[in-house]
Amino acid sequence: MLDPINFQRNDVLEVNQINVFHDDVQALWGVSMTIAAGEIVSLVGSNGAGKSTLMQAICGVVKPRAGSIAFEGARLDRLTPHRIVDKGICMVPEGRRLFPRMTILENLEVGASVKAARRTRRETLEWVYEIFPVLKARSGQKAGTLSGGEQQMLAIGRALMSRPRLLLVDEMSLGLSPVAAQSIAGVIRQVNTSRALTILLVEQDVQLALSLAHRGYVIENGRIVGEGRAAELLCSEEIREAYLGMGSSKQ
Amino acid sequence: MSAVIQALLIGILVGALYSLVALGFGLIMGVMRFVNIAHGSFIIIGGYIAYWLFTLWGIDPYLSIPAVMVCMFVLGLLLYRLTLAPLLKYPRAEMRMDKSLLITFGVTWVLDNAVTLIWTPDTRSVITSYSGSTIGIFGARVGLVGLTGLIIAVLIAVFLHLLLTRTYFGKHVRAATEDSGAAALSGVNVQRTYLISCGLAAALGGVAGVVIVSSYSIAPSAGLSWLLTAMVVIVLAGEGNITAILPAGLILGVLQSMSTLVVSPAYQQPISLIIFILVLLLRPNGLFAHGGTDGR
Repeated sequence: MLDPINFQRNDVLEVNQINVFHDDVQALWGVSMTIAAGEIVSLVGSNGAGKSTLMQAICGVVKPRAGSIAFEGARLDRLTPHRIVDKGICMVPEGRRLFPRMTILENLEVGASVKAARRTRRETLEWVYEIFPVLKARSGQKAGTLSGGEQQMLAIGRALMSRPRLLLVDEMSLGLSPVAAQSIAGVIRQVNTSRALTILLVEQDVQLALSLAHRGYVIENGRIVGEGRAAELLCSEEIREAYLGMGSSKQ
Repeated sequence: MSAVIQALLIGILVGALYSLVALGFGLIMGVMRFVNIAHGSFIIIGGYIAYWLFTLWGIDPYLSIPAVMVCMFVLGLLLYRLTLAPLLKYPRAEMRMDKSLLITFGVTWVLDNAVTLIWTPDTRSVITSYSGSTIGIFGARVGLVGLTGLIIAVLIAVFLHLLLTRTYFGKHVRAATEDSGAAALSGVNVQRTYLISCGLAAALGGVAGVVIVSSYSIAPSAGLSWLLTAMVVIVLAGEGNITAILPAGLILGVLQSMSTLVVSPAYQQPISLIIFILVLLLRPNGLFAHGGTDGR
């Protein structure tokens, strides 16, 4: 699919033909994708299609057996997760995975563990508190006492504390109320426009995922089966039928 | 009445030592979910190092603590690199726990026999000029050596608390304790955090050994009984609750000491084991657990 954007693209992430296995079961088959600087990209697909696996491969949680992943020209696929955070990629994991017995401030501080982030910690903290004022108000409270929406804010805040240049958000709105999901989506859009932060998104609500994103990839059974501008994907007949429950026949 | 105060004071002194014995063991168990059976051997080796420094160069055992800590820290790093780090390839915490139990049990055999070769199977203790001195408090008398042990235990517990709450390393330890995967995704070098925790745990065991060699005595085979004490304290404190170890040790010490007012002192060990079983039955998450809001 040729896209006019391609001519001035500056690809920061390049995933090239990776095969990923969970034990002996192959989860990704020759998956390739690129993300350009400043872009929001959504991964669309049904449960178990391999969206989370692709995210985990980029973060170094699972290692591809074949193929390569490069960020800003440097190979990532042999690095451990904390080294990848050091390189400028941070993930908001599925299910938040906060440190429930630590305070909100401590959770954020752990987010600023890599060297570069430690130097700018105060400044980044101000920024995160500006985005999520509720976290500032409750900074001394244990993370386990927060509501679902607040937990997701903290999880995003913790990831931002590492000063990533690429932010991965896995299952952005899973388990959140529609209002909380909208406010998280607003934050994603805001950090993308105000700081030109590049974002890769997995979101079960395909309508929301594609309305947030500039481009999207469609994954099925561990393979990329479609790619394109988000607005075009949103209008395509296949996507509407498979993921939005709106076939060509009348609704 | 004075017998009660005497028993209470002795209980506090002994309890402080129990906490000291349990701190290093609890750190490894909390952070890495490893059961380090070799912790008892660490304690004994720390005591022997202090014994050597005292008999060969006349260094006061309490002044030798920094040197003992450095030696034990290095030994802890070696233990981690050689025996525990390979276990991290097992993805599930329960598998690591089972395997660490077997491996460190083997390490205990090796260390205890090495200790026997170096220092002979004889019981050793350090007798300083002030060993017999006592101080009167509220009409009761306590030993100077035991009191110093209490002060050291409190200092170490405070030091550990500050380390865990105020430093990056401490926050990394706690984050890795709660969710090592999420800690790695946040940029924490979990492997290095484990490595340093292991060295620190061994160093803490060494300090306990110094207190033991100066207030009691040590023998190569004594490690396992101190390990048992550490386990009882950890069960009282609740697994992974490192800040509760000091109060838990004090409670155990006072309960044991108070029991001597009612039954023969020979029953001290059974009494601590009865407490152990009762806590496991009634409060399996420890005396200080705040209900089940952990989300685990």
